[in-house]
Amino acid sequence: MLKQLLTGVAFSLSALTLALPAHAEYPERSIQAVIPWGAGGATDNVMRSLAPYVEKELGTKLILNNRPGGTAVIGSSYVMQQRANGYTLLLGAENPQLYPVLGLAKFDYSDFYPVNIIGQNVVVIATNADSPFNSMAELLAAAKEKPNTLRMGSTGAGGLPSTVHAMVNAVGELKVREVTFGGDGPGITALMGKHIDFMPLSLAAAQELVRSGKLKALAVLAAEEVPELPGVEPITKALPDIGEYLPWGPFWGAFVHKDTPDDIKQKLVEAYAKAVANEEFQGFLKNYGAQSLNLNGAEAEQFLKRWQSVTAWSMYKAKAIEISPDSVGIEQP
Amino acid sequence: MSDTFSYLLMAWMDPNLLMLTALGTFAGIYIGAIPGLSVTMAVSILVSFTFSWDVNDALALIVGIFIGGVYGGARSAILLNIPGGPSSVATSFDGYPLAKRGEAGQAIGLSTVMSVIGGLIGTVVLALAAPLLGDLALKFAPRDYFLIAAIGLMLVGSLAEGSLAKGIFAVALGAIIGMVGMDPVTAEGRFTMGQMELMGGIHYVVVMIGLFGVAEALFQLHNLSTQAVKQKVDKIIPSVAMVLKFLPLSLRTSIIGVLVGVLPGVGGEIAALLAYDHAKRTVKNPTSPFGEGAYEGLVAPETANSAAVGSAYVPMLTLGMPGDAVTAVIIGALVIHGLNPGPMLMVENPHIFWFTVGNLALANIFLLIFGLMGIKLFAKVVELPKAVLIPLILVLCTVGSYSLNSSMTEVYWMLGFGLLGYFLKAFGFQMGPIILGVILGPLMDSSYRQAMASVGDNPVELLGEMVSSPLSLILTSALVLVLLSNTPLFGWLKRKRKAASVQP
Repeated sequence: MLKQLLTGVAFSLSALTLALPAHAEYPERSIQAVIPWGAGGATDNVMRSLAPYVEKELGTKLILNNRPGGTAVIGSSYVMQQRANGYTLLLGAENPQLYPVLGLAKFDYSDFYPVNIIGQNVVVIATNADSPFNSMAELLAAAKEKPNTLRMGSTGAGGLPSTVHAMVNAVGELKVREVTFGGDGPGITALMGKHIDFMPLSLAAAQELVRSGKLKALAVLAAEEVPELPGVEPITKALPDIGEYLPWGPFWGAFVHKDTPDDIKQKLVEAYAKAVANEEFQGFLKNYGAQSLNLNGAEAEQFLKRWQSVTAWSMYKAKAIEISPDSVGIEQP
Repeated sequence: MSDTFSYLLMAWMDPNLLMLTALGTFAGIYIGAIPGLSVTMAVSILVSFTFSWDVNDALALIVGIFIGGVYGGARSAILLNIPGGPSSVATSFDGYPLAKRGEAGQAIGLSTVMSVIGGLIGTVVLALAAPLLGDLALKFAPRDYFLIAAIGLMLVGSLAEGSLAKGIFAVALGAIIGMVGMDPVTAEGRFTMGQMELMGGIHYVVVMIGLFGVAEALFQLHNLSTQAVKQKVDKIIPSVAMVLKFLPLSLRTSIIGVLVGVLPGVGGEIAALLAYDHAKRTVKNPTSPFGEGAYEGLVAPETANSAAVGSAYVPMLTLGMPGDAVTAVIIGALVIHGLNPGPMLMVENPHIFWFTVGNLALANIFLLIFGLMGIKLFAKVVELPKAVLIPLILVLCTVGSYSLNSSMTEVYWMLGFGLLGYFLKAFGFQMGPIILGVILGPLMDSSYRQAMASVGDNPVELLGEMVSSPLSLILTSALVLVLLSNTPLFGWLKRKRKAASVQP
């Protein structure tokens, strides 16, 4: 008995001394990963699919935790408030890059360290299959002829549809009635029921419906045809000027607290880079209609900066936001 | 055809799937019974957990949890007056009075049988009419959602015992609580007082746990000395005659459940409330007055919320659109498993559809078995001494609130609402209407704004649409009828007609 106790103490002491160079053994316990969006959404799907490969690389469990609300403000600010020890990850989407200009919060992704920019989605302008419009040009012409009669499905300020709408308005004119839904799902349902006329959607949300002929894709938000949706014209055909904002798409990324020790950052970066590159995950992304990016380090930071600048300035130009990007430190593209 | 049958019976034949369905149903009942531990939460945890599994195994477990969980909420609603989930709110209205009368055993027994009947009806409808119902769901325009929410709010007339004014106050309070957080259109904070934590709004389950659970626990402190009612547990399985007696009502409320359940974004909670209201309006001679332990008040919401499960699968399987929060997570699970949920799912993977149908039926049978097991033991919970029961309720409430977001914020909210609920109760306010407002307020807000935006903010055009589209016209008429039946005018007409028929 005593012997057992003594060995126990000895072991714990040795464990203590081993643990002294603190994070040398990172990760020594499971990692909490916060998904600031609801279960079953696009961000949730991507992160849950990726998690097993990350776990394999890191050799520990990721405890995935949905903390939705306030366009991801709640979950993101929670991660910011946690200790910078690499045990709390933020697995989010593009939204925080627009917080400063929307006045939603004082932070953006520059207050985090980007572990990996995992991938991005293609945006399509979709209508009902029976819609009279067959191209983006026809839609724009109809909106010009009768301004403020077409109904566009939206997901609220800062959401994908209103951002894309602002981009179009920054270089052209598309005056519509904006009908706001609680998310892609209800919006698409309304589109299929012909209660709205069109809606900018991520390909992940729309591809199955386009493939089955329930929805029609008028254009993809890209400078040329994309392999994911062959035969659908690029938006630049009807709106050449929008090219200056492209390539553009909603993205997903993994982040940690900015002050996390460098060696932990490095471990996470390596693990995520390998996990995202995993063939099975690449297959998932492709099947989901998303494009892999797998960016880290300076590349990731540059990507985030460009995305923010392009989006914020086009929104400002289209008068979709009132706060000047200048005033919150976002440079012109 | 033979393929269809083999898919349909897949879960029945494969011992592995059979076990998983049974396990899911059993676990679901107890997860559902704990307020705050929701089916959505359990299913989303399972999705990560079952990542490497075969997709059928994962789906079997999920179906079991879904069926068990929706039913399980009734347990705590009846025994402790704390709905285990939003869809059991209406169950507590008459279930708890029954327990107070010593009939908790019978109440649970009847709710089990009725849940199974509702669940099976929902499953049959899913099997026979899925594409049809899927198309019907698409016909609902934003204005129709608005009308449904408005009809739902009229329920205050039947929920507010005593004072209608207090009922309306309570609904309005609930609606305001439901509005807290980010405005869905402009992304501005509403009633947030600049607090970041409030941007996400107040979780309605927290409000529910506080108002029902904590307030009830606090209130019971008043009568610590009263002896707990002895529970009669000799006849817990309802007789065939009793089931037959309630069958017409349960068929009607199942239809309500199916129709409401099929609408995306509107689920079992609203179906159960509407069904309760329907029962209260149509049943002339209930076993006891409604609100004081009428079995009809138990049958209606329990069949409706179970029937809504089957139809929540309709938009998911036919269109790839979620019918409610749980099916949203299941869609995510299908995506992760490399299947593409959408209109092609039924063409390319027909086995998923028939497998789900067979599985739902199987889970309902397990529900009957597990639901009727251990009732005697559970009914004794009501007989526990207050010194044990009250802390037990508070522990359950805390666990449930914390686990919503794994954060203490929700626990503080729950305590706050508990205190508020206690005082409101003391002054004769009902808790039901507050929850009604919390659930329906945001739906009404967003659908009204969608409807107005669709017509370019022209109210005249909106009114025109409300009577020109056939579907909207039906809903508008229902709304007007319900509204009128709540006014003194209607009662006066009724009395006059009665008098006229008596005279000759």
